[in-house]
Amino acid sequence: MAVYKGKSIGNFGIVEGEALVTTDLVAFWAGTNWETGEIVEVGHEARGKNVAGKILVFPKGKGGAGDTFGYYYLAKSGKAPCAMICNDGLGQTVAGALLAKTPMIYGFDKNVVDVIDTGDIVSVNTENGEIEVKKGNA
Amino acid sequence: MKLEKDQEQMLAGKEGRGVQKAMEIMVGIGEAQGAEDLVKINYAHLMPPDVMFMPYGKQGQWAHEMTRELTQDIEKFKVPCTIEPKFCDLSIAKDLLFPDEVIQEMAEIQEKAADFYEKLGVVPTYTAMPFYYYRGWLGEHVSISESIATLWFNTMFGGRCERDDGVKSLAAAICGYVPNEGIHLDENRHGEVIIRLSESLDFKNFSDGDWDAFSLAASRKCRDKRPVFLGIPANTPITDMKHLLAVIAVESGLALMHIVGITPEAPTLESALMGRKPLDEFVIDQNDIDEAYSLANTATGSEVDFILMGCPHLTMREFREIAEVLDGKKVHKNITFIMTTQRTMLEQAEDLGYIQTIRNAGGIVVPDMCIAFAGTQARGTIATNSIKAVFFYAGFSSDGSRKVRFGSTIECAQTAISGKWEGRK
Repeated sequence: MAVYKGKSIGNFGIVEGEALVTTDLVAFWAGTNWETGEIVEVGHEARGKNVAGKILVFPKGKGGAGDTFGYYYLAKSGKAPCAMICNDGLGQTVAGALLAKTPMIYGFDKNVVDVIDTGDIVSVNTENGEIEVKKGNA
Repeated sequence: MKLEKDQEQMLAGKEGRGVQKAMEIMVGIGEAQGAEDLVKINYAHLMPPDVMFMPYGKQGQWAHEMTRELTQDIEKFKVPCTIEPKFCDLSIAKDLLFPDEVIQEMAEIQEKAADFYEKLGVVPTYTAMPFYYYRGWLGEHVSISESIATLWFNTMFGGRCERDDGVKSLAAAICGYVPNEGIHLDENRHGEVIIRLSESLDFKNFSDGDWDAFSLAASRKCRDKRPVFLGIPANTPITDMKHLLAVIAVESGLALMHIVGITPEAPTLESALMGRKPLDEFVIDQNDIDEAYSLANTATGSEVDFILMGCPHLTMREFREIAEVLDGKKVHKNITFIMTTQRTMLEQAEDLGYIQTIRNAGGIVVPDMCIAFAGTQARGTIATNSIKAVFFYAGFSSDGSRKVRFGSTIECAQTAISGKWEGRK
């Protein structure tokens, strides 16, 4: 089991879940279907995967002025990830997570996309900014 | 992040839960972006989702809940505020093919939200071009959520704002601060790549459509690097500037560019680059312009069903040009021709007689709405004088249920009379 430390956007307790990892930037307005949780962006590396209830691991968010709304609507539909882990915290992603009270940790000294695989079990501690990764195939 | 005493008090909830929440968002964003402190703003331009982003159905209800949560116990915003266009004008929503039940829901959510923001002191501009109302100045910090308004404020006035989203600008208006990061800071404002026009072309011969095509070509070259434009005449009219800035703002995601001789921070190329070397240099030629026109024309054949104009809002010159083409004629029976602008511009264009001429011909003109969003229920072929709108209607793709014809304002107006596409194919 590996432990990595980043920065938590707020104290939303400790959550554990299964990782969905994508190497592409993620947009929540138009890039993700807020009613189903599915990544729908054409050409996206994780197109067709569903973020609902997962620990979503991605390099950084992207998107326009509506991206924060997109994330909020996703959460309202009950299709939000149970936590988000990023290398960089984009303003829109941080604001969306704060509004929806989704645990989010960013700013690690390792590239999270390299050290976590889809299917790993990740525990996210928003009090101290630590994540614990149990390899899914172990 | 270092906070001043008043900021700490807001964060501690001394001014109520709404202000506290706004400050939590600012500090959260600021720390994620590596900001050392917050900076006071003078003005905010808002994009509330319950006014602008599909204010009907489930998402409309959620938009309402979200903005009410953010604005709880707020009586007035801390800075002067303007606001984005409404999603759709209810009186013509049927012409744009919205079903009756959606129109009813819009009346409930959009109109009540508009009243709500006006009560909080928002100036009812309902436009993406708030710079007709609020002009900034060199070094002034503001918060804007609208791509062309952000780019205009930084580029034309030398003011400072990031590409703030709808939640951030609302929170900024509530607490009066934004994180001091990105292009709020001197070190992130330099131009990065140079763009010039081929010597075989001349800006003086450009139609407004050519400015859109040039802008699309330029944004595909510079991508996310801040461009420095050379050779754009200082007396380029405001309508052409609107066409130039609107397309690159939505295509490149940039908040700032430099137009040498026009941008306050760029009297010369050297000042635009702020002592650095350009990363690249691009020349836009006739092929690039032709390619942009062909990308923006996803339709084939000459049939047109809708002509939608006013993305961003029509200027006085555009109304004059349309009125001159339509004077004494009739809009073709197969075409729905809808135009929009901001309410002050509409009133003045009415005084000048342009609007009566257009309405006599059968054109529809309404204030306050976002024709790019409102047009997304239309089917068939839409003609427009805006590549920004093309992006919203069809995303440059010919696969969807909407096809697009793009050309100059005059070509669109001529199409309204003949019923057949009059622009480039």
